[in-house]
Amino acid sequence: MDIATGEFLGFLNLTWQAVAMLVIGGVLVWLGIAKKVEPVLLLPIGFGCILANIPLGGAAEAGGFLAVLREAGIHTEIFPLLIFIGIGAMIDFEPFLQRPYTILLGAAAQFGIFATFLLAYLLGDGWLHVLDFSLQDAASIGIIGSADGPTSIYVATTLQSKYTAAIVVAAYSYMAMVPIIQPPIIKAMCSKEERALKMPSVAGTISQRTKILFPIITVLVVGLLAPKATPLIGCLMFGNLLRECGVVERLSLTAQNELANIVTILLGITVGGMMAGTEFLRPETILVFILGIVAFSLDTVAGVLLGKLMCALSGRKVNPMIGACGISAFPMSSRVVQKLGLEANPHNHLLMHAAGANVAGQIASVVAGGVMLMLVPMFI
Amino acid sequence: MLNALWIVLLGMAIVFAVLGILLLVMVLLSKVVKPRDKRGKKG
Repeated sequence: MDIATGEFLGFLNLTWQAVAMLVIGGVLVWLGIAKKVEPVLLLPIGFGCILANIPLGGAAEAGGFLAVLREAGIHTEIFPLLIFIGIGAMIDFEPFLQRPYTILLGAAAQFGIFATFLLAYLLGDGWLHVLDFSLQDAASIGIIGSADGPTSIYVATTLQSKYTAAIVVAAYSYMAMVPIIQPPIIKAMCSKEERALKMPSVAGTISQRTKILFPIITVLVVGLLAPKATPLIGCLMFGNLLRECGVVERLSLTAQNELANIVTILLGITVGGMMAGTEFLRPETILVFILGIVAFSLDTVAGVLLGKLMCALSGRKVNPMIGACGISAFPMSSRVVQKLGLEANPHNHLLMHAAGANVAGQIASVVAGGVMLMLVPMFI
Repeated sequence: MLNALWIVLLGMAIVFAVLGILLLVMVLLSKVVKPRDKRGKKG
């Protein structure tokens, strides 16, 4: 036989990077199954990571099925957009429509994206040159602060960042960690008296006509003012229109279930397949994860600060904590605020107010992603 | 570096402007479209 043993026995070709990534993939699978941390995503991502790092397996190499999925779904930006149709069909925007002012909290909570972008760029090509972060990489890292997986994938892919895999894993991991990241910041910024502040309930319901007009108007306003956000906001609002119009229940249910589930499986395993050891294990990856936490934290700080301003201007009718829900990590962020409100005052139910800010944050993060895509190419 | 600062300033300004306009449109919409009174409908 001419073929050397090392050419067909995978374990003889194991490198330390491959071993490390197999362990990381295993940890992601363990987190998903044993700790129930975003299992819907971390399980496929972890498994994809294992598949991609088996030597000689070829799953993530040219022609391999993970490489084909990456080409077809990530590079074309199809997967995040399809996911957004499902998300749009799942979201009830009524809490936001009852409190439209919460959109400003969503806007404020995007500050972390831009501040983190600046920080990443200063560490990279912008000033210190200690890390290999170009303007596009910095913008893609900043977008982790959108607290929105599909937006992170869309922006990082469109800007062709070298760190797309790390950015996506960080975005989804930190969304699951919102109950750990946000409470200390909120408690540090809001006194117990502020946390106990009850908000008046909102009178009246939203008509179905308003719910139907809302996605159409949102697409027109956002699309005409920030056109780069059109694919994202368009898919999100299309899904929502399917939900609210009341005449295509089958399509709405398909978008919420089959479509979202199938694309989640494909997206997760493909993202995992992008975690090849030689590309993933570099100092910059660790920095991407650190900057991701910075982005989430600054989002929370900015949201709460605007919440405090609204609290003062409204004569204490707005609990400043709901500002923290301006990040689009829905519904984790709302639950955090509800829990903190009840801890401070057992009769303080903030869930629907917080949900209003939370779904507003979903729209705001998409707009911020579109704005980033619009501005970065102008300054390259 | 100046470019990055411009992106931050313009970025936040545009986000607030777009969402502010959306807020105005939604407030206007809520004034124009009222929930229908269902009292007159047959049970």
